[in-house]
Amino acid sequence: MRPQEVVDYAKSLDCIHCGLCLRTCPTYQLTGAEPSSPRGRIYLMRAVAEGQLAATDPQYREEMDFCLACRHCESVCPAGVRFGEMIETARAGLEKTQPRGFLARTARRIGFGTILCSRLWLSLVASSMRLAQVTGAARLLGKLGRPLVEMPTVPPKSERAALPSSTPAAGTRRGEVAMLEGCAMRELYGRVNRATVEVLTLIGFETKVPSGHVCCGALHAHNGELEGARELARSTIEHFERCGSGPIVVNSAGCGAHMKAYGHLLADDAAWRERAGRFSARVKDFSEFVAAEMPTDLKGALGNELGTLAYDDPCHLCHGQQVRSQPRTLLERSGAARVELPDSESCCGSAGIYSMLRPNDSKAVFARKAEAFRSCGADTLVTANPGCHMQWESGLAREGVKARVLHLAEVMSAALRKAKR
Amino acid sequence: MRRELIDELLAALGPAGVIHEPARLLAYECDGLALLRQRPSVVLLPRTTEECARTMRILHREKIPVVGRGAGTGLSGGATPVEGGALIGFARMRDVLEVNVADQYARVQAGVVNVDLTLAAEKHGLFYAPDPSSQAACTIGGNVGENSGGPHCFKHGATTRHILGLVIVRDDGSVLDLSPPLADPLGYDLVGLFVGSEGMFGLATEITVRLVPTPAVTETLLAIFTDLDAACDAVSDAIAGRLEPSALEILDRLTIQAVEASVFAAGYPKEAEAVLLVEAEGSEIEVEATLAPLRAIAHKRGAIDIRRARSGAERKQLWAGRKGAFGAMGRIAPDLYVADVVVPRTKLRELVAASTRIARDKQLKLANVFHAGDGNLHPNISYDRRDADEVRRVLEASDEIMKVVVAAGGSLTGEHGVGLEKQEFMSLVFADDDLRAMCDVRRAWDPDGRLNPGKLIPVHACREMRGTGRPR
Ligand SMILES: Cc1cc2nc3c(=O)[nH]c(=O)nc-3n(C[C@H](O)[C@H](O)[C@H](O)COP(=O)(O)OP(=O)(O)OC[C@H]3O[C@@H](n4cnc5c(N)ncnc54)[C@H](O)[C@@H]3O)c2cc1C
Ligand code: SF4
Ligand code: SF4
Repeated sequence: MRPQEVVDYAKSLDCIHCGLCLRTCPTYQLTGAEPSSPRGRIYLMRAVAEGQLAATDPQYREEMDFCLACRHCESVCPAGVRFGEMIETARAGLEKTQPRGFLARTARRIGFGTILCSRLWLSLVASSMRLAQVTGAARLLGKLGRPLVEMPTVPPKSERAALPSSTPAAGTRRGEVAMLEGCAMRELYGRVNRATVEVLTLIGFETKVPSGHVCCGALHAHNGELEGARELARSTIEHFERCGSGPIVVNSAGCGAHMKAYGHLLADDAAWRERAGRFSARVKDFSEFVAAEMPTDLKGALGNELGTLAYDDPCHLCHGQQVRSQPRTLLERSGAARVELPDSESCCGSAGIYSMLRPNDSKAVFARKAEAFRSCGADTLVTANPGCHMQWESGLAREGVKARVLHLAEVMSAALRKAKR
Repeated sequence: MRRELIDELLAALGPAGVIHEPARLLAYECDGLALLRQRPSVVLLPRTTEECARTMRILHREKIPVVGRGAGTGLSGGATPVEGGALIGFARMRDVLEVNVADQYARVQAGVVNVDLTLAAEKHGLFYAPDPSSQAACTIGGNVGENSGGPHCFKHGATTRHILGLVIVRDDGSVLDLSPPLADPLGYDLVGLFVGSEGMFGLATEITVRLVPTPAVTETLLAIFTDLDAACDAVSDAIAGRLEPSALEILDRLTIQAVEASVFAAGYPKEAEAVLLVEAEGSEIEVEATLAPLRAIAHKRGAIDIRRARSGAERKQLWAGRKGAFGAMGRIAPDLYVADVVVPRTKLRELVAASTRIARDKQLKLANVFHAGDGNLHPNISYDRRDADEVRRVLEASDEIMKVVVAAGGSLTGEHGVGLEKQEFMSLVFADDDLRAMCDVRRAWDPDGRLNPGKLIPVHACREMRGTGRPR
C-alpha cells in the first residue's frame, strides 16, 4: 500500500501550521502535547504520506485514536482544513496498515457488521443490557459491567417499539417529511423519537418513517469502517427515496452531519455520486427544520416546569453542520427561561463510541463540561444528539449534579402541547 | 537519548511531562515557520516553576542544549529545536495565578494563552493590551520571548511595555524571582532586558503583566479603497497629522479574498483593492476627535465607503477577519512566508510597492496585510515547501525586501523576532562591535551558550555559539 493512500495527503496540505486550532482541541487541553493537537495530527498524517513516518507506528495510531473527531478544529481553522474527513481516511488507513488483533477484529465485525445493521440484533442487545441493569447482574460483572452500570437504564421493550410508518399532521396539513428513526436512538431514546414526531405533526407535517431502515453508517465512518459506511449509505438513500423527495428530518446530530456528507462519501462511486448529492441536500437537522417551519404565531407555553434550560451544542451540529442559532431560537420560543452554557461548543467526550473505547479520556473531557454546567446555574441540560444525551446523563450522575437532561425535541413537544396561537 | 536519562526525566515530570517517542517528537519539528525543521531529542512539559527548574538542572548537568516553546506560532524559527537538544514546552503551565483588580495587574504562568488572559481580565473591566493576531493560540511566555506586538500596540506599545515582573529559570536550573510589581524597577531593569531575548537568557515561568481599564468607548471603522497606494497614503497622512487611533491596519485584495472565503469572513468587500481598519478608544469626545479627521483623510485619499461597526459583535467580526488572515492564506498555497519589516511611515506606499514588485519579478504570489500605523509591513508570500525552486525564490525575495527596507531607513523585524530566519541579516543593521556587545550580555546570562543556540546572533559574530544557520 502506498503511504499516500492511507491518509488524505491533498487535504493535509491545506494546513498552514498557524496553530489557531490548538486551544480549543479537547485532547490538547488535556495534555498540552502538540501531537495530540489538530495541527500535530495533520503534521503526522502528512509525514506518513511523505514517507517520514511509518504508517505502522504505534504512536501514530494512538494519536489518531485519541482524537474525538469532534471537529472543533474545523470551526476555528482559517485555512478551511477539513479535519473530519481527514481523520476518517486516516482511521480507515490504519485498519489496513495496523490490523487489529483477533478479538478486537471480531468485536468490531460483530458490532459494525452485525448488530448496528440489524434491528433484531439491536433489540436483542438492548434487551440483554436492560436485563443486566435491572437485575443487578451488570454490577456482578465487575470492570466489564461498569459501562452498563454507569449508563442510563435501557428503557423497557414497550418504549422501544417502531414508530408508525406514517403519522398524519395535527390540524391543518402543511406538508410531508421523512424522519430518521435511527439505530441506537430507537433503542435508547424512543421517547425522543416520539417527541420529534409530535412536534413535526403539531406544526402541520405528516411524518413518514421508512420501514426496515436501521442505520445510516455514521459510527462506521467515524471509526474507519468506510466500506461498511458506503454500503449503509446506499441502503439509506434507497429507503428514503421510497418516502418521496421532501425534507428528511434527523434528530441525531452525528447522523445528520454524516448524511449531509454522503455526497463526499460516495464521490468515487459514479453510479451513486449524484443520487447521494440529491439525498444529502434533503437532510435537515430537527432544529433547522422546525425553526424554519414553526408558524410564527405559535408560542410555546412552557413555564417553570423544566426550570432554567442550558443548551449544549453537539459537535456534529455546530462544527459539523454549522447549526448554532436554530436550537436557541426554538428554546426562546418554548417559553422557558434559558442561560448560555459556557464553552457550549466544546466536546462533552461522548464522541460516538469513544466513551466506550476510551472511558477514562472521555470522562476527563467531560469534567470541564460538568464544571461549566455547575457554573451556569441551569436546572435542565438540553442536547440534540443521543450520544451526548447519554454522556450528560451518566456524567452528571457520576459528578453528583442533580439535573434533568432532555433532547430539544422533548422540550419543544412539552412546549407545543400546551401552545397557544 | 539515553534510556536512564529519559527515566530520570520521567521521574521528575511524570509520564505526561515527557515526550520521547520518535513519532510524537516529529510534531515538534518546527514552529510557524515550517521551512526550518529539526526533530528535538526530547520534549519536556513541566507544570510548575519547580518542575521546570528541576528539568533544567538535569539538562545542565548533561550539557544538553535547550529551546523554549510556547505554542510554536513564532514566525522566525525561534522555537525550532536544535540538533540533539531538548525542547521545554509551556503548554501545561496554563494557570492564571492572580488578577489584581485594585492594582491592575495579573500574574500568569508562561503557557497561558494570550486570549485567556484577556478573558480573565475582561470580567473585571480590564484588558491586556498586546494582541498579536495569533492571540487565540500564542502564549504570554512566547510573547515575552519575541516582544510581540499586535494591532493595538500602535497606541499601547508592544509587550515590553506591559511586563512588570518575571520568574525566570536560568540555564543551570536556578530560579531568579523578579516578580514584585514595582512602579519603577530598582537597579538594572533585568525584566526589560529579558523581554525579547528569544529564549536565550533563560525561561520565563511566571509573568506579571500590566492590565489597563477597558476604555469607555471603542469605535471601529472600515475604510474601503479601490487602490492600495491610496490606503497607504491615508495612513501616512494620519501619522503626519499626529492622530492617535489605537489601531491602523491595512489588508489588500488578495488577503481580503482569502479571509472572505474562510470561517472568519468579516464582510470586507471582495472587490476592494484595500481596506483600512481603524479603531479609536477613550472618552466619547476623544474618539470623535480622532475619527472625524481620519474620516476626512480617508475621503480625501479616495475611500469609496467608510463603514462603522454598530455593535460589539460587528467589531469582533471585523477583527476576527484580520486575525484569521494568516491562516486564511492557507487556501492559496500550502505554506506562507511572512516577512516582518518596519519602514518609515512616510514611505509606506513606496516600500509596499517595492516588495510587491520584488515578488512579482520572482513569479511569487504576495499578499499584504500589515500594522500600517506602526509601519510594520508583512509582505506574505505563498509557496509550497515541496518545491525547492520556489523556496529558493521566496528566500531571495525576502533577502531583497529586507535590503530595500534597511536601505530606506527601516528595520528587519517589527515583532516576529530574528530567530533562525534573520540572524544573518543582523549585520545589515549592526556593526560587529554591536553584535559583540550583544554576545557579551548573552554570555552573562548563559555562559555555555546552551539556551536556544544558533539563533538571533549571526554565526560569524559569535564564534563560540555556532548554530545551524539558514538553509540555502
Ligand atoms: C497567525 C499568526 C499571526 C501572528 N500575528 C502576530 C502579530 O500580530 N504580532 C506578533 O508580534 N507576532 C505575531 N505572530 C508570531 C507569533 O505568534 C508570536 O511571535 C508569538 O509571541 C509567539 O508565541 P508562542 O507562544 O507561539 O511562542 P513560540 O513560537 O513557541 O516561541 C517564540 C520564542 O519565544 C521563546 N519562548 C517561548 N516561551 C518562552 C518562555 N516561557 N520563556 C522564554 N522564552 C520563551 C522561544 O524559545 C522562541 O524563541 C503571528 C503568528 C501567527 C501564526
Ligand atoms: S488552524 Fe487550520 S491551518 Fe492553522 S494549524 Fe490548525 S488546522 Fe492548520
Ligand atoms: S477533531 Fe476534536 S479532538 Fe480531534 S483534533 Fe480536532 S479538535 Fe482535536
